Amino acid sequence: MEYRDYYKFLGVTRTASAEEIKKAYRRLARKYHPDVSKEQDAEQKFKELQEAYEVLKDPEKRAAYDQLGSSWQSGQQFRPPPEWASGFEFSGASRPGSERKGAHAFEQEGFSDFFSTLFGGGSPFGGSGRRAPPGGRDHHARIDVDLEEAFGGGSRTLELKRPELKADGTLELRTHTVRVTIPAGVTDGQLIRLAGQGEPGPGGTRAGDLYLEVHVRAHRLYQLDGRNVTLTLPIAPWEAALGGTVTVPTLGGAVEMQIPAGAQSGQKLRLRGRGLPGQPPGDAYVQLKVVLPPATSAEARTVYESMREKMAGFDPRAELGR
Amino acid sequence: MSDVVEAYGVQLIGETDWFTAIEICRVCQLNLEAVIEFADLGLVSPRGGSPQDWRLPAAAVPRLATAARLMRDLGVNVSGAVLAVELLEGRRELQRQISELERLTHR
Repeated sequence: MEYRDYYKFLGVTRTASAEEIKKAYRRLARKYHPDVSKEQDAEQKFKELQEAYEVLKDPEKRAAYDQLGSSWQSGQQFRPPPEWASGFEFSGASRPGSERKGAHAFEQEGFSDFFSTLFGGGSPFGGSGRRAPPGGRDHHARIDVDLEEAFGGGSRTLELKRPELKADGTLELRTHTVRVTIPAGVTDGQLIRLAGQGEPGPGGTRAGDLYLEVHVRAHRLYQLDGRNVTLTLPIAPWEAALGGTVTVPTLGGAVEMQIPAGAQSGQKLRLRGRGLPGQPPGDAYVQLKVVLPPATSAEARTVYESMREKMAGFDPRAELGR
Repeated sequence: MSDVVEAYGVQLIGETDWFTAIEICRVCQLNLEAVIEFADLGLVSPRGGSPQDWRLPAAAVPRLATAARLMRDLGVNVSGAVLAVELLEGRRELQRQISELERLTHR
């Protein structure tokens, strides 16, 4: 396994006070918290911070960690010394999982092998029996899906890290790869429950569920609102003025749509049931946008000049008053 | 690398699905006292008489789960978590509007 420099993760010196460590954690946790952060590697950074803080905030764990010495570098191959952590007394009051009011136990899923070996369940620091209800806890994750997948369904392969008890009593992080079918008709913010894919239940008790919160990625053409989708459809001035039939792309394929004569930019037309599937299915809205041909050729300029002469009574700013 | 396992029991939680207070506590890893506080501050709007009989819509799950994570990870209190969740949702809506406007202006 690789050594983890927890002081470096928190950006503090080895002599930092408990208050300095707490401040550093709070500041960096605010920056990298996956719910808040826009940083690319926020989730991984945040896990490192959590792991580092879990050790350094606890005087007993910090003392044991410091005992390893200061000559180690992050990433260096590491093996725990024999009789690891012997000679320490454990209060038991600050086990991982000590509860804060309101929120449940500290998450250790995703922590490194280094942490699991030195401070995890099989170590002298490992907590036990903290869980009130039997069974594994439910987990939450976010999945980003394209609008096409939300419409037609799809599948995702998720890599879930789970701590598992080895024969020698220590914890090991194992990666489980699970393929998930994304049902057609998922909407932004909707939840998908994967029964039994959360935390494994200790001693063969019921495993928790995994809840996936769906985020639908912004689409190049369509805007999603619940199950309804809106498409901005560019049309020529004569199509708007005279009406006509145009081909409109929808998530389910192109359809023919009638534009009424006298249509205006911004006007919305509805294609019932052409949004995301569901009970009831959403609608597709087509927002018209009149696009003017450029007056770059002599012919085009002649047409515009003719319009100016023959439609002199038209005042597009009449409603603004004089 | 482990083998790929097909996930069975995939269930889409719809807008019409409701959670009991006990279910929501388990799913969001909160105790009932915290859920009551969140409801008092308007983060979620349960239906039903006493908290034990409450039913909450599926939309409450991501809100409460996010608030729980913010409390646990950042050390904010209930009011701070509610404020943060509402601001994050506001930010997301603004980003959606910005991308929509960008889409309109670049066409």
